[in-house]
Amino acid sequence: MIPLEFYLLLAAALFCIGIYGLVTSRNVIRVLMSIELLLNAVNINLMAFSNYLDPATATGQVFTVFVISIAAAEAAVGLAIVLAIYRNRDTVDMEEFNLLKW
Amino acid sequence: MDFTNLASQLNAGIILPEGIVVATLLVVLVGDLIAGRASTRWTPYATMAGLSLAIVALIYQWDTATPLSFLGSFMGDDLSIVFRGIIVLSAIATVPMSIRYIEQSGTSLAEFLVIMMTATLGGMFLSGANDLVTIFVALETLSISSYLLTGYMKRDPRSNEAALKYLLIGAASSAIFLYGMSLLYGLSGGKMKLLEISQSFVAADSDAPIGIIVALVFVIAGIAFKIAAVPFHQWTPDVYEGSPTPVVAFLSVGSKTAGFALAIRLLVAVFPVVSEQWHFVFTALAILSMVLGNVVALAQTSMKRLLAYSSIAQAGFLMIGLVVGTEAGYSSMIFYLLIYLFMNLGGFTCVILFSLRTGTDQISEYSGLYQKDPLLTLCLSICLLSLGGIPPLAGFFGKLYIFWAGWQAGAYGLVLVGLVTSVISIYYYIRVVKMMVVKEPQEMSDAISNYPEVRWDLPGLRPLQVSLILAVVATSLAGILSNPLFTLANNSVSHTPLLQAAIDQQQAPKAVVPPVATIAPAVTSVAQR
Amino acid sequence: MTLAEGVQLVLFGLLAALVIGTALGVVLLSNIVYSAFLLGGVFLSISGLYVLLNAGFVAAAQILIYVGAVNVLILFGIMLVNKSQPFTPVRRGWIRLIATGGVCLGLFALLSTMILGTSWQLSTETPVGDGATVLIGMHFFSDFLLPFELASVLLLMALVGAIILARREFVPDEPPTDAISDALKLPERPRELVPAGREGSESPE
Repeated sequence: MIPLEFYLLLAAALFCIGIYGLVTSRNVIRVLMSIELLLNAVNINLMAFSNYLDPATATGQVFTVFVISIAAAEAAVGLAIVLAIYRNRDTVDMEEFNLLKW
Repeated sequence: MDFTNLASQLNAGIILPEGIVVATLLVVLVGDLIAGRASTRWTPYATMAGLSLAIVALIYQWDTATPLSFLGSFMGDDLSIVFRGIIVLSAIATVPMSIRYIEQSGTSLAEFLVIMMTATLGGMFLSGANDLVTIFVALETLSISSYLLTGYMKRDPRSNEAALKYLLIGAASSAIFLYGMSLLYGLSGGKMKLLEISQSFVAADSDAPIGIIVALVFVIAGIAFKIAAVPFHQWTPDVYEGSPTPVVAFLSVGSKTAGFALAIRLLVAVFPVVSEQWHFVFTALAILSMVLGNVVALAQTSMKRLLAYSSIAQAGFLMIGLVVGTEAGYSSMIFYLLIYLFMNLGGFTCVILFSLRTGTDQISEYSGLYQKDPLLTLCLSICLLSLGGIPPLAGFFGKLYIFWAGWQAGAYGLVLVGLVTSVISIYYYIRVVKMMVVKEPQEMSDAISNYPEVRWDLPGLRPLQVSLILAVVATSLAGILSNPLFTLANNSVSHTPLLQAAIDQQQAPKAVVPPVATIAPAVTSVAQR
Repeated sequence: MTLAEGVQLVLFGLLAALVIGTALGVVLLSNIVYSAFLLGGVFLSISGLYVLLNAGFVAAAQILIYVGAVNVLILFGIMLVNKSQPFTPVRRGWIRLIATGGVCLGLFALLSTMILGTSWQLSTETPVGDGATVLIGMHFFSDFLLPFELASVLLLMALVGAIILARREFVPDEPPTDAISDALKLPERPRELVPAGREGSESPE
């Protein structure tokens, strides 16, 4: 059997890539994609734990299904907000969103 | 699994208040769909009625014999009832503020109310959530509805921008929080219920392993974002400045309360093994929030930003109660939250009224307000002075109780920082009050010179006036007649087995591991009785 | 899963390389459309990993929801905000990139130390395999009933809210009808509008 740690390391790597994308992206839509990467890293974690530590009850899989469905809702709301701001400001560059000082 | 048995095991009566909120939400949504624009006449009152009914239902659940419902997903103990009550009250108070505001901005009122009720629902479930999945779903319900509310003025670029920043930072922090929860699930060997997780940590019997510390850090990042503690506060001023003011009022009380409920339940239930570490982290967060919140507030020119930094500082004061972890600590925190509800919402009502009449929220524009609108000046002054902690207003007694609890528990450093920063905070609150009561007409700002005639008979202003008066009366009298609130806060702590176990453990700090091993099963047996 | 151990390991290596490679592509490529398609690749290879983890149902859900809904939504989003905008480079942007990269590497080092340093309580029970579908359904209607129902409220509200925010309003709202409201102005008038993007593209008020 593949060791559990392999999956966890993969998830950690994906998580760090997601964080990198989150901080460095200029395009708002790419930031949203990075958030999806973060959530997928969490899902890999949950599925791996579910298979190796808790194989008989599959609660981790249930958690993953919840995360997937809520991630979809979050993506929909996120894109709606991006559309609204694009209509008003005509840009998707994070650096241009400076009406409110950081 | 036998499904007829299941229905009786669910103990679904515990979530009756939430059920009432859902029903109201559906009534408003469908009613608006049928009635169209004419529905604005009754939807706010239906919302307030439904939420008040939820409060009544909450009162009837006080001291219920079987608080655990939905097979352990939800815990309706007295602690959760107090927090749910505060969240619902803040929602009720937000409704009258928003009627006129939403009307004037030309957006639809019913959807606003529906989204706000969803946020309330998320906060209520978060206050009692007892397993990881429920915590996550409730947290996301609260957060996603808050993003929507923040961006509700969709033709105002500042509202868009606030919503975008809130969404990006919020989604990132909830993903980090979720990673921490997935680690908890793994470290406990596949457990979902909070108490089972902490039992498995105790059973593993290792001295603060790195895995639990990492999970703790990730979880704290999520919680600190919700309660806007420094250094996870950067979103607060921007979101507060950009979003519609009624939403800010709700976020500053309702959402923050839900965050504190989550903090108490999660930290106390799951992390007794690393109790020292999380107390240390929260001490640091509390000091940073008090210092930075109050100092940066001095330099603000926008009223909403000022209140944003003030709310960060207030979160710092509240964390003192959480850190000391004694019975007095927890109940002083709940007492202060109750008082904070009245004074902060009263303050925001005044800010909304001013911006409705003049269209601005710059502090300099407030100068000379006393000449034109003495009532508004009086109300805003009372609320601000109470936030600053001037006796005999309610805020003074709240702070006194928190500092007393902290001093008694030996957290001298925290209390001293709290005292010094409260003195700083009095300065910037008084600055606003002083500006409003200037005598000379030439110092009057443009907005005040063109101040419209004060009239309350415009549609939507009457409820605003009633709620303003109620909030101000509560703020001025809650301090002197504080006994009922005080008893409520104390009882909610002393009737909650979870907190009692934690307090007992706190009082025997040296022998950490053995007491936990005996207490945790005791808590479960009490909880499942 | 009845595959031989060696095959499993090779498959894992392949899928893991795909996940990391495509995820790096999502983050690093400059063309946003390529990133969006590579994101689909990430989702697909992760669902392959789920199959390796004996979770066929979640693998299918992953493909249906992430690839079918989220990724398509993101592509729609890219099309709707279709603007090839050269981002003006930020001064000393590379310092930020390097600092962030360093922080992320440090985070990865911390997480891997934690993962390798923890003794996970491996279970010896046999996985339920394809019986998981039934089990997940049972969970939804027993001990996870509350979050399941709450999620339905959340999805309804996300639907309503997303439509409100994204809808373009063709009919301008009629001004308030009461005559006295001249005294009252819009509650929030923007103080200063920084022209974003090109000149004179200020938002319509």
